[in-house]
Amino acid sequence: MRAFAHPLLLDTQSTNGKILVLVQLTGGNDGLNTLIPFEDSLYYSGRPQIAIPKAQVLGLDNNMGFHPSMGSFKELYEGGKMKILQSVGYENQNRSHFRSTDIWLSASNSDEFIFDGWLGRFLSQSFPEFPSQSPKHPMAIELGSTESMLLQSPVGPTSVAFDTPSAFFQLVNGSMADNDPPPATLAGDELKYLKQVAANSIRYANVIKDTADKVQNKVTYPNTSLGRQLSIVADLVAGGMETPIYLTTIGGFDTHAQQLSSHATLLKNLTEAIAAFQKDIELLGIADKVALMTFSEFGRRVKENGSAGTDHGSAAPMFIIGQTVKPGTLGKNPSLTDLDNNGDIKHQHDFKSVYSTILQDYFGLAKNDAKGILNRDFDKYNIFRNVKAPKPSTNLIELVQNYPNPFSQTTKIEYNLTRKAQVRFVVMDMLGRELTSISKGLQDDGYYSFDFQDSSLADGIYLYSILADDQRVTKRMMIVR
Amino acid sequence: MPAWNITNAKHLLSRALFGYSRKNLETALSTSLEGFVDNFLLANVAEPAIPTTWTWLNDKPDGGAPNGTRNNEMIAWWFRLMANEATSMREKMVLFWHNHYVSEYDKVNFPQILYLQNKLFRDNVFGNFKQLTKLVTIDPAMLIYLDGQLNNKNAPNENYGRELLELFTIGIGNYTETDVKQAARSLTGWQNNYDNGIKSIFNRNRFDSTNKTFMGQTGNFGYEEIIDIVFTKEETAKFLCRKLYKEFIYTTPDESFITQMASILRSNNYTVKPLLAFIFKSDHFYKPEFMGVKIKSPVELLVGTVKYFDIATADTNYMREMGRVLQQILFDPPNVKGWQGQRTWISTTSYPLRNQYTDAIVNNRKANGAATISRLTMLSYARSYKSSENAVQFVQDIVNLMYQFPISKQRQDSLLTTLLSGTTVANWTTNTPQAEQRIQQFFRTLMRTPEYQLC
Repeated sequence: MRAFAHPLLLDTQSTNGKILVLVQLTGGNDGLNTLIPFEDSLYYSGRPQIAIPKAQVLGLDNNMGFHPSMGSFKELYEGGKMKILQSVGYENQNRSHFRSTDIWLSASNSDEFIFDGWLGRFLSQSFPEFPSQSPKHPMAIELGSTESMLLQSPVGPTSVAFDTPSAFFQLVNGSMADNDPPPATLAGDELKYLKQVAANSIRYANVIKDTADKVQNKVTYPNTSLGRQLSIVADLVAGGMETPIYLTTIGGFDTHAQQLSSHATLLKNLTEAIAAFQKDIELLGIADKVALMTFSEFGRRVKENGSAGTDHGSAAPMFIIGQTVKPGTLGKNPSLTDLDNNGDIKHQHDFKSVYSTILQDYFGLAKNDAKGILNRDFDKYNIFRNVKAPKPSTNLIELVQNYPNPFSQTTKIEYNLTRKAQVRFVVMDMLGRELTSISKGLQDDGYYSFDFQDSSLADGIYLYSILADDQRVTKRMMIVR
Repeated sequence: MPAWNITNAKHLLSRALFGYSRKNLETALSTSLEGFVDNFLLANVAEPAIPTTWTWLNDKPDGGAPNGTRNNEMIAWWFRLMANEATSMREKMVLFWHNHYVSEYDKVNFPQILYLQNKLFRDNVFGNFKQLTKLVTIDPAMLIYLDGQLNNKNAPNENYGRELLELFTIGIGNYTETDVKQAARSLTGWQNNYDNGIKSIFNRNRFDSTNKTFMGQTGNFGYEEIIDIVFTKEETAKFLCRKLYKEFIYTTPDESFITQMASILRSNNYTVKPLLAFIFKSDHFYKPEFMGVKIKSPVELLVGTVKYFDIATADTNYMREMGRVLQQILFDPPNVKGWQGQRTWISTTSYPLRNQYTDAIVNNRKANGAATISRLTMLSYARSYKSSENAVQFVQDIVNLMYQFPISKQRQDSLLTTLLSGTTVANWTTNTPQAEQRIQQFFRTLMRTPEYQLC
């Protein structure tokens, strides 16, 4: 694996010098009233109370148009700074907010359970010394007071969460880290987590404040929660923070009732904050290394319900914004005749392919490295311009998530070796104690798979690793008998 | 039957209650485990008094009223009940139900309507899960929160029907999308009415009175029949049992113990009290591996700290403020799934904020310099221990009381060094001018640790 060029700096080589800002729309955004098929009569017949009149829609190409409160998105689109992906979703859509959010954050299939985030895995793979050594700048920043599953990795939390740099600095000022090793017990595992988080806050509060103090935003942001969050992101990036991942959030999209006015406000708040951010990073001269992506756990039902709202649905559009995107729309307008058996829009794009594209074409990962993070090969989409050839993978081991997972008796373990190595497979409990070890001997480079079963293991979550020479890759698996 | 000793008593009190004082611990150990569970934890206690100023409880909901202020008063009132819980687990279970059948102030908007829901939980606190589910389904706050009042025969609103199955009864994976739609139709017809007090009423004209096919059965079902059908499934009992397990024992349920719990719940026709008694008298609950494994919720941290120090007048408004920043706003969970607990409580921001709170309790002063209403006289508190003049023993006694997590010799020595702060064990006495500051520094340090966050 890649080593730090300078152990105290983030090795931005490993993330291509790029920064990704995520905007999570919680509650399930109504895609159909966001990007509107205003020439489709089925849209109007399905939504007599809440359809946006054709005359008000901000028309784009292809008979699609934005909601009237999204004027600033129309400018970004027509200015060549936005990629729209139509109908993004996944097979067997889950309509629970919580399960579907977990699926999006962990990048799992709808029938598999993964307990860490796709970006947490990306970061822990990109900075293999973590957590025994931590980079000078945080690997990820979340605006807010909670830490998302998105940034949990198999080796611990990768992010720092705070409301504002100055409040965070004041809060942490004077705290001391505690370096005692926790005992190998269940409670010791929780203690370890507490210590990791406490240490992260102490380690990064200073550098975050110093960086934020270096530059000023060049535009006035809307006085909204998302506006404030994005202004901090721009400020930190411009001040030289090398953190590659930022997570921001806007809530309230679960519009089951009387959605016309509330959804209009949400879309206004969303798009005006993002437009201000884009303008700001251009004026600050950092726009070439920043891209922003929106996502939500699902879209909403084509037909409105009886309370002038919409119930949980499936696929919805995604927006990727920045100077590095190839502008335009990917995919057809959603079909309102060919719906799934629940009356919801079928997906044209798998969100995991979007992730795979970001990992390869934006962050410059080799295909196999992306596969190691997302557990499978996914098609890439044509989202970014000036895509360079990926750097060759220096990882010796590519380990794919076991399948099925969870499993009751047998699960398939797959890995790839990029050169000849001495290989061992181990299963550990959550405290890292080895329970099973299988030697595979000296293996040539190439692809390997085997079925694993061990009836002595009780129900629960386990860690498993492939060790090859001096390298190790670890994932989690779950047994439910 | 598990041994009834100080270790097990501390474990029980730190989980079944929000925390404990030395007196609570003495009460527990003055009787048997069985006697303590039956006659103290699960005892029926008098309904709490309502502040005389709350005449607005009977007011018709009005957007122009000072609803936010009233809601804040209600949060402070509930914190007071928690801080005064002594050895009754009623308020802990009221909070459990609040986190199970979630409603948010953010959407319900009217404190008098949320008060009724809180009273409903208290009135049925150790009662019948099935009956409570029926009552919650037509509870005025719930009818607002999950749009039940908007759900009608012409175009059902699935919001309540889905969460009833996913989060309140049987759990994800045990129903189909068709079941959600059929449940939504069966739940039509209920609306709030404020003409004569706050009530929900059944409006036949809005009810879908045609047949529904739900979980394989067909009939002209209303909400009670739907709930009756869901409660014929063992999975419904298991769903609640897993939630109780996570609250009181550990985040990863032991499925064989869940099966035992579910069978107790079903054989008692879904009455919860015998199930709670079973949990707290089981050997499983007292397994050493579960001790100290729970990350305290903000409410457990806020209330528990006050209880450790026997603070008579808790600063409930300050507790409300801190609950907000620590991500546990009473009457306003973050979403319909409620607070997820354990590691989700901890972030790089919430961890130092927890330290800020425990510092403030010791300092009688908040981080912004304002005085707290609660007053803790550290010297008197320290001198209430027989060991107060023996530094080594004093540290040992406090660690034994306040930590559920076993700490190493080095850590305990380092706490002793903090207490002594330059003086020696031989010279230690609480009768020097610096003693109060030293004891304060000792308690601040003790409560800033990761160990203090565990119970």
